Amino acid sequence: MTDTIIIDGLAFALPMFVMSVGGIFSEKSGITNLALEGLQGFGAFCGSLAAVLFAYGFAGSSRMPYYLSYLIAFAGGMLYAMLHVLLCIKFKANQIISGVVVNILAVALTTFLTKRINEALFSEKSNKFVLETSMRFTVPGLSRIPVLGAVFTNVYPFEVLIIVIAVITWYVMYKTPYGMHLRACGDNPHSADAAGIDVNRVRAIAVILSGGLSAIGGMSYAYSISASFSPDIYLGFGYLAIAALIFGNWSILPTLGACLLFGFARSAGQALIQRLGMPSTYNDLVRILPYVLTLFLLIFFSKNNRSPRALGEIYDKGKR
Amino acid sequence: MGDPGFIVEMKHITKCFPGIVANDDVSISIKKGEIFALLGENGAGKSTIMSVLFGMYEPDEGEIFIRGEKVNITSPRHATKLGIGMVHQHFKLVSNYTVAENIILGSEPQNKLFGFIPRVNIKKANEDIAALSKRYGLKVDPESVISDLNVSTQQRVEILKMLYRDAEILIFDEPTAVLTPQEIEYLLEIIRGLRDGGKTVIIITHKLEEIKAIADRCAILNRGRLIDIKDVKDTSTAEMARLMVGHEVSFSVDKTGAVPGDTVLKVENLTVRNDNGYEAVKDVSFEVHSGEIFAIAGVSGNGQNELADAIAGLARNTSGKVLLCGRDISGLSIRQRIEEGIAYIPEDRHNLGLVLGFTLKDNLVLKNYYKPDFSDKGVLNEKSISDNGIRLIDEYDIRSSKGNQTIVSSMSGGNQQKAIVAREIDLNGKLIIFMQPTRGLDVGAISNIHKQIVAERDRGAAVLLISLELDEVMNLADTIGVIFDGRIDRIAKASELSVNEVGEYMAGVGKGGTG
Amino acid sequence: MKKALVKLLGKEKGQMFRISLFSIAISLIVGSVILILIGKNPLSAYGNLLQGTGILPKYSYAGRQNMFTDFMSFLDALTPMIFASLAVSVALKCGLFNIGVSGMMLAAGFAASVTVGMSGLAAPVAKPLVIIIGILVGGLVGGLIGWLKYRFNINEVVSAIMLNYTLMYIVTFFINSFYADPVSRQSTPVTDASRLTLVGVKTMGLKIDIPLAFPFAILTAVLIKFIMDRTTTGFEIKAVGLSHMAAEYAGISIRNNIIKTMVISGALSGIAGVTYFCGYTGSIQPGVVPGMGFNAIAVSLLGNSDPIGCIFSSFLITILSKGAIYLSSQQGVDIEIADLITAVILIFAACSEFIRIYVTRTVAEIDQAEGER
Repeated sequence: MTDTIIIDGLAFALPMFVMSVGGIFSEKSGITNLALEGLQGFGAFCGSLAAVLFAYGFAGSSRMPYYLSYLIAFAGGMLYAMLHVLLCIKFKANQIISGVVVNILAVALTTFLTKRINEALFSEKSNKFVLETSMRFTVPGLSRIPVLGAVFTNVYPFEVLIIVIAVITWYVMYKTPYGMHLRACGDNPHSADAAGIDVNRVRAIAVILSGGLSAIGGMSYAYSISASFSPDIYLGFGYLAIAALIFGNWSILPTLGACLLFGFARSAGQALIQRLGMPSTYNDLVRILPYVLTLFLLIFFSKNNRSPRALGEIYDKGKR
Repeated sequence: MGDPGFIVEMKHITKCFPGIVANDDVSISIKKGEIFALLGENGAGKSTIMSVLFGMYEPDEGEIFIRGEKVNITSPRHATKLGIGMVHQHFKLVSNYTVAENIILGSEPQNKLFGFIPRVNIKKANEDIAALSKRYGLKVDPESVISDLNVSTQQRVEILKMLYRDAEILIFDEPTAVLTPQEIEYLLEIIRGLRDGGKTVIIITHKLEEIKAIADRCAILNRGRLIDIKDVKDTSTAEMARLMVGHEVSFSVDKTGAVPGDTVLKVENLTVRNDNGYEAVKDVSFEVHSGEIFAIAGVSGNGQNELADAIAGLARNTSGKVLLCGRDISGLSIRQRIEEGIAYIPEDRHNLGLVLGFTLKDNLVLKNYYKPDFSDKGVLNEKSISDNGIRLIDEYDIRSSKGNQTIVSSMSGGNQQKAIVAREIDLNGKLIIFMQPTRGLDVGAISNIHKQIVAERDRGAAVLLISLELDEVMNLADTIGVIFDGRIDRIAKASELSVNEVGEYMAGVGKGGTG
Repeated sequence: MKKALVKLLGKEKGQMFRISLFSIAISLIVGSVILILIGKNPLSAYGNLLQGTGILPKYSYAGRQNMFTDFMSFLDALTPMIFASLAVSVALKCGLFNIGVSGMMLAAGFAASVTVGMSGLAAPVAKPLVIIIGILVGGLVGGLIGWLKYRFNINEVVSAIMLNYTLMYIVTFFINSFYADPVSRQSTPVTDASRLTLVGVKTMGLKIDIPLAFPFAILTAVLIKFIMDRTTTGFEIKAVGLSHMAAEYAGISIRNNIIKTMVISGALSGIAGVTYFCGYTGSIQPGVVPGMGFNAIAVSLLGNSDPIGCIFSSFLITILSKGAIYLSSQQGVDIEIADLITAVILIFAACSEFIRIYVTRTVAEIDQAEGER
């Protein structure tokens, strides 16, 4: 049972983690990003569409569509994030409102397009792109370790990808000039500007990156939990990712901890229901666990957390 | 073509903002290796013209020549490339970065990880900055975090930032406003050293004695226009003052001797912790009587805000006692204190004193809208609120585009301040706290507010005046208390204190001070 | 170009109203482009929207139906929307973003459905009781969010979203376990006595749905407008919304006003919930968060968060959502087109502040240019 909890927990937690990392990028640069939910959905839509189309172009056993679909999802997420950039930076909209609006449009747009495309290309009335569940692999040897071996058992390739991305993003954030500029923009955009940094450009790149990263999260859910793209992908995981980064105090490693906590709470609950042989309706009760846990933890963590100082502030250079 | 004899030439610069001409056909030329001062009142356009030179604003008209070459400076980054650096009035520092990180921001030294992955070389930065600070005698530790440093050290970081970028033309915007007299001495010494090291320095200020002390030449601006450029050694302070204001000025305030009455405010062993848990006010005790102006002198950030907030009830974490007319009000809410008769003109008029999105008339009843005068059973009386607005606008000469209906965020700073003063004085309080009442106002408005402060005293109110302007304190106070690092170690009759003595206590080096 | 825009959007009076109209017009144009792209005639499509909501006559009617019956069922859908958008507006006035309207609606609707809705109470008792339960449950959830915000500094958006999903899963669990109707897979319908809509009233040869709460919705909007503009309560809420620091300085309690506002907003959401689930639909679909709570945000922004503006914008958005059913059946367009157009309207509404500043600045520039001449 612990094996299932760890395996399922990781598969749930890591996609959320990569979304949180995207959120950290955006918020550390000073742009509140409630749009993660919409970004992951739109990215998953693009990737799934690509996967469905590629499935025709490649031989049945090829893994190419799988990897290409991630690339397309990444690109799609970045593209869609430009809408948030446009609203927040160019049109100086309230960032919370912009995030919500971007999410609402994502749901409407992807649902509409999925239906239209299914009808036009496959002449079927469906609001789903059905995907194969991602393959999994088990690391020989390591998976034999008691308890922790589960970490190396039945691993989705995207889990590895996400860990690699997390390491890279950590490096970018804390070791490169861009990362230094980014964090400066989130703390004091005026200093960054005076130092010759183009604040709006740095922020735009950060938000666009957050779109790409969220999309990888969304695509991973499409390949694992739901094995399809449909409006069901908007289950609030993007919002959970935001809650996670708030616990994580806008730092990458603690945020990973928060995501793992959600993941294990969820998988442990499900395992328990199965173990006790309760009816499937009880699954609905288990599903509230991450949400309730989030609220509960926020009670302890929100007070002392320090958000980036300029978070949510519209940067207007010409302001006197 | 520019004249190669000058390092900076600005010709016929005009810059407008909606509603105001900030610079009107201003031409100045600066020689290499001199200290050039820009003198003028608030709103004279000194900061604007330097912001143009630093690439923060583009001029509407005019030309700029640097080292004889015509340039079009489009951004601070561009200005930096041309060897221009600027220390702004509000420091542009990232509070959670170290000194070194702040200095290198935007032009980081890099090396490659594994030979190809770029990274910031923070080790080299620390070494370079340590060497630089040694060379110019600017003492800072490259690895300390900005938020742990005091104002004067932060200013040195700003200077190092310019030097690190090899700036030759150094602009200082009001550099002494936040410093103690002793720190000012030290800074002026540094500036002289920079000039002697071959740098060109431009200093923006409205303090005549500083110009007299260090500047070689001085341009005087008034309401956006260049009035004159003078050699400092041939010009008297009085002459410069006359040019700056546009007419003869008298710095004194007409007031009769104080007739102090009963004790109105009594503060006993008050200690206030700020949000970070730091004791910003430490064990302070003093009394203010009716008919008395009690002024607190001190350098910015020594606990003045916290002290005023604690008396008005805005600070939460306090110990000790505050008594108003003998009654302990320490446990009372803000509203209860207002009703007991405390009026408060806060330093931060934008965030605290006004609801910027409200109309002027609503702001004028911000503290008493719920009183029977203005509402009945929870329903507002539009008529009386409107009449109240009209009356105060008239009495206090508050100017705005649409009178009562003006949204206050669109009003000028001076008129916003008038609105706050009008509202607070109209409360007819027993105690009025004036915190930095004249900051950012022009001479006319300042003298008006000074008159009102004296009038309130003569009405019999107790006035607590907290100011960073030593002149203001010396001119208005009946009694002076000097605050340093949260303590008030010296309280005396104004007549018994000299400017120098007050200055020493402000710096914490007075007799019996904490050193 | 600039001048024309400025002229169109005006200087001060009614500017926000005109900017809202401008957002709508642009969105409809964008919608037309989409419709053309999928090969439909936008004019007839928009006509269908109006026909579906009883504003224009349809070509033919089924028995016992005409334009009036369509319009009444349109009002039936409009009623909860007005309450929901008022809920968002009140919160916005206090600087709070109530994205939890959906969850509150669901909680209130569920609570009223399983208590009064499934009891044998007579109509004169049951109907007011349903509304009271809606107010209490909604107010409670709203108050909780307000309290979490003030006491623990928890962003109201995050807590509201967590509550949305939590409440949705709880309600789903209970419906599936105890109250599921085996045929419809929805919750057991509420009794006619407790339902806030009189369904299928036969009169004048017609079968009409009469939304009893509709006049109440209009009255509530007027009442909220009065409270916000003319009372000390509104004065305080707005002061807190514009500046916490200044409000506190003036002696106004931040805590009381945040909680008070969220209770009011929650109560309005609760009424929206009962008029929706115990009025318009009569039952609850498990596993779904009602989209109306999110559309209400659009409606409120579009109405410039003014209560009276909310009536008009509710009217518009409900035409889109309700009329889409007829549009879909007539033209074979996916029903989601309505959500899409709503989302586009929302995007322009989010930019309205920018448009306003832009227009004001351009006016100043033009005035200055003319002044110099």
